[in-house]
Amino acid sequence: MRIAKRVATHVILIAACLFALFPIYFIIITSFSTLPIASITAHVLVPKPSQLTLASYHAILYDQSPSFASLLENSLIFAGSAAAIGLGLAAFTGFALSKFQFPGRRTFVYFILIISLFPGFIMILPFYLMFAKIGLIDTYIGLIIPYSAGAVVFSGILVKNYMDSIPDDIEEAALMDGLGRTEAFFRVLLPLCLPILGLAAFLAFIGPYTDYALANVFLTADPTKWTLALGLYNIANTDTGQQNYGLVTAFAMLMSLPIVAFYMAFQRYIIGGLTLGAVRG
Amino acid sequence: MTGIRLEHVTKRFKTETAVDDVSAQIEDGEFVVILGASGSGKSTILRIIAGLEVQTQGHVYIGDMLVDDYEPRDRNLAMVFQTYALYPHLSIYQNIAFSLKIRHVPREEIDRAVRQVAARLGISETLERRPAQLSGGQRQRVALARAIVRNPEAFLLDEPLSNLDAKIRTTARIELKRIHSELKQTFVFVTHDQAEAMTLADRLAVLNHGRLLQFDTPQKIMSDPASQYVASFVGSPEMVFLEGNVVTKGTAFAFVDGPVELPLMGTGGPGQITVGIRPWDVVLTRESRDGGLLGRVTGVERLGSSDQIFIDLMPAPSAASPSGRGPETATVSLRALARAYDYAVGDSVYVGLDADRALFFDPQGHRLESVTASYRPA
Repeated sequence: MRIAKRVATHVILIAACLFALFPIYFIIITSFSTLPIASITAHVLVPKPSQLTLASYHAILYDQSPSFASLLENSLIFAGSAAAIGLGLAAFTGFALSKFQFPGRRTFVYFILIISLFPGFIMILPFYLMFAKIGLIDTYIGLIIPYSAGAVVFSGILVKNYMDSIPDDIEEAALMDGLGRTEAFFRVLLPLCLPILGLAAFLAFIGPYTDYALANVFLTADPTKWTLALGLYNIANTDTGQQNYGLVTAFAMLMSLPIVAFYMAFQRYIIGGLTLGAVRG
Repeated sequence: MTGIRLEHVTKRFKTETAVDDVSAQIEDGEFVVILGASGSGKSTILRIIAGLEVQTQGHVYIGDMLVDDYEPRDRNLAMVFQTYALYPHLSIYQNIAFSLKIRHVPREEIDRAVRQVAARLGISETLERRPAQLSGGQRQRVALARAIVRNPEAFLLDEPLSNLDAKIRTTARIELKRIHSELKQTFVFVTHDQAEAMTLADRLAVLNHGRLLQFDTPQKIMSDPASQYVASFVGSPEMVFLEGNVVTKGTAFAFVDGPVELPLMGTGGPGQITVGIRPWDVVLTRESRDGGLLGRVTGVERLGSSDQIFIDLMPAPSAASPSGRGPETATVSLRALARAYDYAVGDSVYVGLDADRALFFDPQGHRLESVTASYRPA
């Protein structure tokens, strides 16, 4: 009985892994495929070495306009600024909502929670109208503002919840030791929040990095400010209607590298953040 | 080295009054224990002194300085928290050095101070570790070290021993007392543990519902409690209370509760009254003796070196009990301390009360200081 249960569990888990991993595997082999226009039907699941090439990568890196480097640079600017600004503000938001008593605090927390439930794209139109009025369309700042705002809302709640788990005693010990509240925040609470800040930074980065909807509306006229998501769509959306899957998948592979790198760099904090509450020392 | 003075301090949280018009003078170098049940407002008082909480009314002085508007950091008081509140991300060394670093004390001086206090508390070998790697007893020492290293005006300790194992707690208690006698600084120590309070305090402040009931030496609080609440809160096992009536006996008065009868002096007249007697002032014997009351052992609680004996007294021999409570009066129950294993459930015993030590309270629980018992066996 117990063995049957274990076998069943593992079969289900392995099946789930296959479902999760197969698309990634498919993208990888497609991106290295030699077929002139790698087509789904002509595809082989286990390609021979002779069927592998770096041609698609070469094409993405050297033959595109705007160039991949320019797209990447823009994406890093947008996502990096949003993560930095959003997170900076979110840290203060979380601190205020967790450790300060003020009228309307609970209402405000619910308000933020409700806002974060709205899908971002329903705000595109109002954002566009507003930003068009003040001339922020086709500018860096025009896109960084809504990205950061999204990060503040989401990360603010994350940081608040995490700070709730830090006993008030610790902040008070810092006050008794001779710090003001702001200094206590920077020297004691913030370092203790590093795990959640790592997770929040990662999430705040991925959002804008992979965003297509908002960027597509805000960066219409100026391809020099295009992001990777826009560039990818541009390749996929050919005039001929004929898809070059080799190019699309190679682009996707290259695009995911910074995220993987980011993840590796902050892995310690991100995993710590994901398993929060499991262990309390 | 400074005294602390509270003047009519009141703290209200929304509808609730946590601290109710408390005035007290804590002398320089004194070890004061604030004793109270949970919710009595004892921690709130400590936090008001610390500046972590702002009183609704009243004033706090540290030395001669009115500190009502001072931030915690400007009061130069050190606090030891119940949870120790060590900084989890810093090493023990950094934890102890933290306050000195903030004050920009030169590095060599910090190093000397940290190592000195660590040696004094026996935690030198833990300095490079993190709080999570330490035992409860060690963390408690670190919390103490963090306070001592600052050389503050006074120490505030919020139930610092209550998270320790019973055995370590006793040692920590002795050590804390030793440290106090060495430092000769003002200590304000909050606890709900009356035994801890008794052993540590130079003076003891008993608190209930935010009110300061009594502020005196442990001996005075034990022998001369101001109210029934104080009398019941200190001393273990708890004081025995008998509720009875004062009746006239010829020209004199006597306290009567079932078979218990105590001639009284100093009472104003008939009425309800409560007599309180410590279990160790209830004397048990096997043989009948003058004035002894017959009772039966209904329970025995083993306390280790002694037993607490629960006794039901036999009803008064004369059927016409003068007790004003009517004939259905419940049996009178007492508790006594006896040598371990001397008595068992079901035993018949004779009970004598050391009436000289009995205390009297009115129905509201106020002490009737003028009333004394003159228990002369008939």
